[in-house]
Amino acid sequence: MSRVAAVLLQTLLAVALAPALTGFIRWLKARLQGRRGAPPWQPYFELRKLFAKEAVMSHTASWIFTATPFVVFGTSVAVASLVPLVLAPTDRFIVGDLFAVVYLLLLGTFFLALGGLDTGSPFGGMGASREMTVVALTEPTVALSIVALALNAGSTNFSQIVGRTIADPVTALGPGHLLAFAALFVVTLAETGRLPVDNPSTHLELTMIHEAMILEYSGPYLALIEWGSSLKLLLFFALAANLFMPWGLALSFAPAALAVGLLSVVLKLAILATAVAVFETRIAKLRLFRVPELLSASFVLALLAVVSTFLAGQTP
Amino acid sequence: MTGLFSQLVMLGSSGMLLTALIVLWRRGLPAYIAAYRWQSWLLAAVVATIAHFGDDTSLYWVAGALLVLKGIAIPALLGAMRRRVGVTPQVTPFVNTETSLLVASLLVVFAYLLARPWMAVSHLPTREGLPLAMALLFVSLFIIVSRKKAVTQVIGFLMLENAIALLAAVGTYGVPLLVELGVFLDALMGFLVMQIFVYHIHETFDTIDVDELTRLRH
Repeated sequence: MSRVAAVLLQTLLAVALAPALTGFIRWLKARLQGRRGAPPWQPYFELRKLFAKEAVMSHTASWIFTATPFVVFGTSVAVASLVPLVLAPTDRFIVGDLFAVVYLLLLGTFFLALGGLDTGSPFGGMGASREMTVVALTEPTVALSIVALALNAGSTNFSQIVGRTIADPVTALGPGHLLAFAALFVVTLAETGRLPVDNPSTHLELTMIHEAMILEYSGPYLALIEWGSSLKLLLFFALAANLFMPWGLALSFAPAALAVGLLSVVLKLAILATAVAVFETRIAKLRLFRVPELLSASFVLALLAVVSTFLAGQTP
Repeated sequence: MTGLFSQLVMLGSSGMLLTALIVLWRRGLPAYIAAYRWQSWLLAAVVATIAHFGDDTSLYWVAGALLVLKGIAIPALLGAMRRRVGVTPQVTPFVNTETSLLVASLLVVFAYLLARPWMAVSHLPTREGLPLAMALLFVSLFIIVSRKKAVTQVIGFLMLENAIALLAAVGTYGVPLLVELGVFLDALMGFLVMQIFVYHIHETFDTIDVDELTRLRH
């Protein structure tokens, strides 16, 4: 019973924390660029405002258009209940499989592209086609870096991977682990529409990807999509942080362990968010035609991770 | 303890391989020179790690010499060469970036397969670095053959030299100091000769694009 409650609380925490993470990155970027910036909790006000507004819909929109925000938000929440955020009990079976998580997130992306195409607006179609190009290139990388991690632990289950890394910390220094982390970080940036691939802070720019797909949405629908996207960002961060640096994660239901887990996850998310903010301040967006080069580089990283884990592990 | 040792050596070796991949990915000489500098520092770090865990004090000297010569002196000379030859607008390779990255990953797989028998007979804790060193060797050779500009080919040669040094370090805990110094001097001489060649090519043909060498100027 306590397990169900813990998982529920963890999911609620992720959902509640997600807008703050996006707001924190925005605020930090503004500070680094010499602006004052909106406070980190600004996204909550934006969500409240959007939920109160009326939704305007195109006459040509079908049911896919209205279903998409729910699918995007729903898959993100479903994944939030699977990802180890504060808690990863090793002694019991927990339904947290890497393949399930990554492909649930991709399902949300797929519906977002469908929603962009549905109204027949030129921007939506353009954004959808670009998003599919990027996703088609990131997917092999995601699958390969999962395999690299799973090979180390002998399982694609989160608890097993986390338990294995905690039990044998030296493996975290191995090239398989680090290269897979680097690959997954690039994928995180591409999947969540961050800077070298997509610019999260502009609308109506000819190079935009994510914003082009959601251009037709308004009111509560837009709020759901925005919330779902920031939840997706948080989940990718949590995956990157807890799979590769699982220290501090609560392994039991003891209150002290839970408190440490909560603190450490907030700290890890803050560190990753700071890294992303600094990274985004230092670099410019890549030209769209150079994005495949970045993604193929990350694919090669993931491939090297698998090769070095698999082939090096063969010899006694 | 040996676990940490072999992990550190593997980490350094894969870092060196990554810097070679950066040369395949990035464009522009400053990035290449930075990649070479990082690679030399990592090589010095790997050699120092082997000196620490393998209890071989002479290797500290090798690490120091590597740091000074390859980590500081040669990158500085490369920078001087870049300034003298002037800004090259774009370093165009024969093979495009995606293909060359994929070729590099195939080369790495090939190196792993090739290093297997060697790893089976070696009992050193550093043997995990062997396939990575061989992969670095192949990738540097690929850099040399797939780039058009003479300066980039020189960087490929220098990385090849780093790969051989890494191979010696992880395969046999380094060769004797005297041999190592001889190799250093050889590499430095080779580099200086190549530098003179690059200058002459540049003066005669007004370009360092080796494609242009097929046409006669005079």
